[in-house]
Amino acid sequence: MTAHIARWSLMLLAVFLLAVWLPLAKELLFGYRYGKTDLFYSPVIERFVYTELLGDGHQFIYRDDAGNDYTREAFEALIPFIYYKNMEIWGRLPLLIQGQSFDKAAIQAERLVLQLDPDELPGHTPRIGLYPLLESNPGRARLSFPEDIMRPGAALTFIGSDANRVDPALTLTFTAALREAGFAFPVRATFGRVSILKAFDAGYFLVDADGGLFHLKRVDGAPAVARVALPEGVAVRHVKVAENRRGEHLGLLLATDGRLFLLGKQDYVLTPLPLPGYDPDRMEVKILFNPLQRTAVYSDHREIRAVAMDRDFRPIAEYGREMAMARPRPVDRVWSALLPFELVLSDPNSRYLRLDLRLHGRSAAIGIAVALLAALLLLRRRGLSWLALLPSLVFVAVTGLYGLLALLLFPPERALGVEPEPAHARALSPAPAGD
Amino acid sequence: MLRAIFLKEWLKLRWSLFGLLLLHLCLLGYLWLRLRHQFQVEHSEMIWYWVFELRRLLYDQLMLLPALTGVVIAVAQFGPEMLGGRFRLSLHLPVRGDLLVWAWVAFGAGVGALLALLDVVGLYGLIGLFFPREAAASAVLTALPWLLGGWVAYVGTTLVLLEPAAARRVVYLVLGLAFLALLYRHRGYQEYDRILPALIAASLLLVPAVILPAHRYRHRS
Repeated sequence: MTAHIARWSLMLLAVFLLAVWLPLAKELLFGYRYGKTDLFYSPVIERFVYTELLGDGHQFIYRDDAGNDYTREAFEALIPFIYYKNMEIWGRLPLLIQGQSFDKAAIQAERLVLQLDPDELPGHTPRIGLYPLLESNPGRARLSFPEDIMRPGAALTFIGSDANRVDPALTLTFTAALREAGFAFPVRATFGRVSILKAFDAGYFLVDADGGLFHLKRVDGAPAVARVALPEGVAVRHVKVAENRRGEHLGLLLATDGRLFLLGKQDYVLTPLPLPGYDPDRMEVKILFNPLQRTAVYSDHREIRAVAMDRDFRPIAEYGREMAMARPRPVDRVWSALLPFELVLSDPNSRYLRLDLRLHGRSAAIGIAVALLAALLLLRRRGLSWLALLPSLVFVAVTGLYGLLALLLFPPERALGVEPEPAHARALSPAPAGD
Repeated sequence: MLRAIFLKEWLKLRWSLFGLLLLHLCLLGYLWLRLRHQFQVEHSEMIWYWVFELRRLLYDQLMLLPALTGVVIAVAQFGPEMLGGRFRLSLHLPVRGDLLVWAWVAFGAGVGALLALLDVVGLYGLIGLFFPREAAASAVLTALPWLLGGWVAYVGTTLVLLEPAAARRVVYLVLGLAFLALLYRHRGYQEYDRILPALIAASLLLVPAVILPAHRYRHRS
């Protein structure tokens, strides 16, 4: 009996490992270079334009939303604020668009990209909850890391990195400053950009126990705290801080209900972005700024959508399409027909490893039928009765070719009286009972 | 009978265990020296930045130690059994064959777990010397799949050693390596946090599995 359980355990383990590794092997063998579609709003023709890789090699298309194709150069000329350096080389600056003239300096002054990816969201990436609070007024050209680190919790604790000990004075000063500003401990969330390779330091945004949002900086060694007024009904899920000297925005604020706002540098004004169908858990979003418009482009791995807005973020036009990379390839169709499911280990929207069960649906019936037939032939050759082979057939019916492979690796014992196969074929089979 | 079985296992394993204990202590000592050296030649806040933000694992010298330990324990336990048909003699003891094999595995896994505990305590203590406690806890969580690798390597090697048929030995070897390779796919800290329970559950299938090669050994013609 225990040998019987042992065999089934090994078969289950084999199916588990095959369901993880075979998809990885398939990706290794049939990986492809299809990138995401690049989608823009052209201020020249006032239409959406996109470029896409259709297959192996360099099969790029350059197309507008009406289906007109362009050469690469013509395409770049349709979005001259993006390719302004090429425009300069080709002698097309200053640009004359919609009756206005834009020279290089004017274009540079307005260009800005804000981006938020799903793997940046809390819960999508493991994070050690310690944050260096940089000096925002370093009095020198470059930022540098402080010799202490901030531990947001029941208090705002600071730990000196040289001695690895709590700094009581700094802890008291910063905790008291937050309390004075109305902050309710404990700290529920901390958002900031940990880097010294940025134009300036904007410190951190902290969410308090009541859901209030506070901006904390270290200025000349002392705490500088400001409360961010949140519109009614907005609960903060994430703040993406983008410390860029250009533009009027400090970053993006994502609400728990999925609404995305631009966070203003002046008085933390929140500007809602109209993004129909935006799902922050699976879509990356980019906000492209140019002297005439703002375009929000957001996509998962199937569809890409965009909203073009005027300078006041009022929608001008919307567009969406399924990307070429979402269309199943012949190898994907064969794969789905052969195997009933797979366990996907990595998630493009998270740094956490996962074991996502992806069912292949009805298309897997072909693979299951083939596996069942092969299993039946194998089991009948071993002289098993219909009743004895039923559990194995059910197993293969559920697990398809994975189960068939497991059955081949760990076949059941032969029925009594059935002659074993020749020695060379017997290697994987248990021999008849008897010591 | 169980006491006699464990005594025999102890006699088989003691020198290997002594060597392994020494190896684990040496590696923990080396980790301490490496960390100390790192903090001597680089500013502490930069090292903290590497670890917290760039997700460098300054303790990955320990990564393959549990798997190596598992292999050594299995070889020390089951290698001698497979010489000169001694395993057949053991199977004639007045105890059920499956219980005997499980008792052996329990002993081997138990001493492996003690060494794993030493690694956990050592890792937490050493990282805690140089980093705040959050980093020490994170290091232990990051190392848990490696420790699970010790168990998988131990049972995988046991399956290979107990199996009488060469072709099936290759199957066990591939199965063990496929499971092991699943445990080292991280790019930073704590990336296994959410799938570790599922991996532990899958690895528990190896507990009943270890009976099959012993059964086949006993009943081979």
